[in-house]
Amino acid sequence: MGISLSKLTEKTNIWPWLLLAPLGIYMLIFFVVPLAEVAIMSFTEPKVSLANYQKVLTGALYQRVFLNTFVTAAFVTLCCLLVGYPLAYLMAHSKPRTAMLILLLVTMSFWTSFLVRTYSWMVLLGNNGPLIALLQMIGVDKPPQLLFTRFSSTLAMVHILAPYMIMNIYSVMKKIDPALIRSAESLGAKGWSLFRHVYLPLTAPGIANGSVLVFVICLGFYVTPVLLGSPREQMVAGLIGHQIEEFLAFGLGSAMAMILLVVTLIILTIYHRRFGLDKLWG
Amino acid sequence: MNTFMRWAGFIVVLFIAAPLVIVVPMSFSNANSLQFPPPGYWLGYYRAYFTSMDWLIPTWNSILIATATTILTMALVVPATFALVRHKFRGKGFADLMMLMPMAVPHIVMAVGYYSYFGDLGLVHSHLGVILAHTCLSVPIAFLVLSANLKGFDRNLERAAQSLGASPAKTFLHVTLPILRPGLVISSLFAFIQSFDETVVAIFISGRDAETLPRKMFDSIRQEADPVIAVISTLLFVVVLVGIAAPYFASALRSRAPKPSRPAGAH
Repeated sequence: MGISLSKLTEKTNIWPWLLLAPLGIYMLIFFVVPLAEVAIMSFTEPKVSLANYQKVLTGALYQRVFLNTFVTAAFVTLCCLLVGYPLAYLMAHSKPRTAMLILLLVTMSFWTSFLVRTYSWMVLLGNNGPLIALLQMIGVDKPPQLLFTRFSSTLAMVHILAPYMIMNIYSVMKKIDPALIRSAESLGAKGWSLFRHVYLPLTAPGIANGSVLVFVICLGFYVTPVLLGSPREQMVAGLIGHQIEEFLAFGLGSAMAMILLVVTLIILTIYHRRFGLDKLWG
Repeated sequence: MNTFMRWAGFIVVLFIAAPLVIVVPMSFSNANSLQFPPPGYWLGYYRAYFTSMDWLIPTWNSILIATATTILTMALVVPATFALVRHKFRGKGFADLMMLMPMAVPHIVMAVGYYSYFGDLGLVHSHLGVILAHTCLSVPIAFLVLSANLKGFDRNLERAAQSLGASPAKTFLHVTLPILRPGLVISSLFAFIQSFDETVVAIFISGRDAETLPRKMFDSIRQEADPVIAVISTLLFVVVLVGIAAPYFASALRSRAPKPSRPAGAH
């Protein structure tokens, strides 16, 4: 119907609204209202007050969980960058066949359910797993507990989120004009200085994109920290779930959810002002 | 620097690949715990998966919910995308941004909202509730894919059809729709996968009656790490492998690499 409608539009301008209306109404009822309900509950459960926010913002437990969440998200982002940059480089500067095989692998990882990847890390890091066996083989008598620690959840999150970073950096590296590198070389730049002053700045947009994406996803990550992390070092999404499921503390859970939401939206708004949100998800 | 990057790159390849492939031998293991390498091999856990209603019903629920979500998402998103790509009107920038919002909100926040809201409406523990929620979450990705396709659409083709006497409806059916078909197929596929993989909202609202596969897997991993999970993981892995590798090798024959992309926020 696009055509017939578009012809009318220039005159009446009612068609776009008619086409948008079903989705608009749907999103109002099933997206905006539930979200508003979280906002309202954070102020009204169990009674109308600011007590939930006061508790979340000043309570030692909640402060520690929020701090832990930010530190973890920042650390995971950094690790994804350290892991993703060399791989993106390898993809962008290998023979087409090698590059395509790596791309295939990253895409596979991208599309594999993160529950599957979380489970894999349970196998790899488990007490009867290959990593512990390797440690014993090289003579570590009492191998450390790897599973259900900060280490295991961080490692798995890096693995799960790295593809976002890799794809973002790769798409920028691929577009770098080799002539720029050659002219920098002809002007005497080489090795580290070539990388630091020419290559790295050229890939900065990809780094920014990937980092924002990984950081934001990691802030709200629920499944992997809950399954693989230490129960004593929860992240905020896990604690929200815990409050709702175990204690039916909707007010407290909602207040934490609102803080998580506001922080996420602030980061994405800053990003949107500079680059445009639609670029983020490529 | 170059050599260093290459070596680092190859190590990362191992890091990415190992967790993907390890589920395959695990699925044939005869151990009832997470033992690797497996002490022996059998097909017992495959039989367990394909004969156990505890696993087949969630699988069926997931397929049903993802299918319904895809249909509902496309029914809502296709007209909206035409409006947003082909028309200029006041508030368009805002509407564009709103289309992406469900991607920006962490799923745990939506889960809390749905848990309470659908509780009031009597929609928790129902297929319908999960479908309605998943549709919201699938809108952004379906819109992104479809609008990218529609933006690249050469409207002269439609003008040509109409100048040759085709009615607007005929033009839409015989020109617009066939050209957009790949975009429609891919955005439907993304909507389907978004729903099929979605875990957090499903954990909170699907309950026993509409239990989805990710929810069942999550509960099982949390409680006893049933070895059947390795079987499901392998099956899901094979589906992805076939789905991605097949087009890849097809395109490799034509020596052209497609650009993969995937929605965020699914965690």
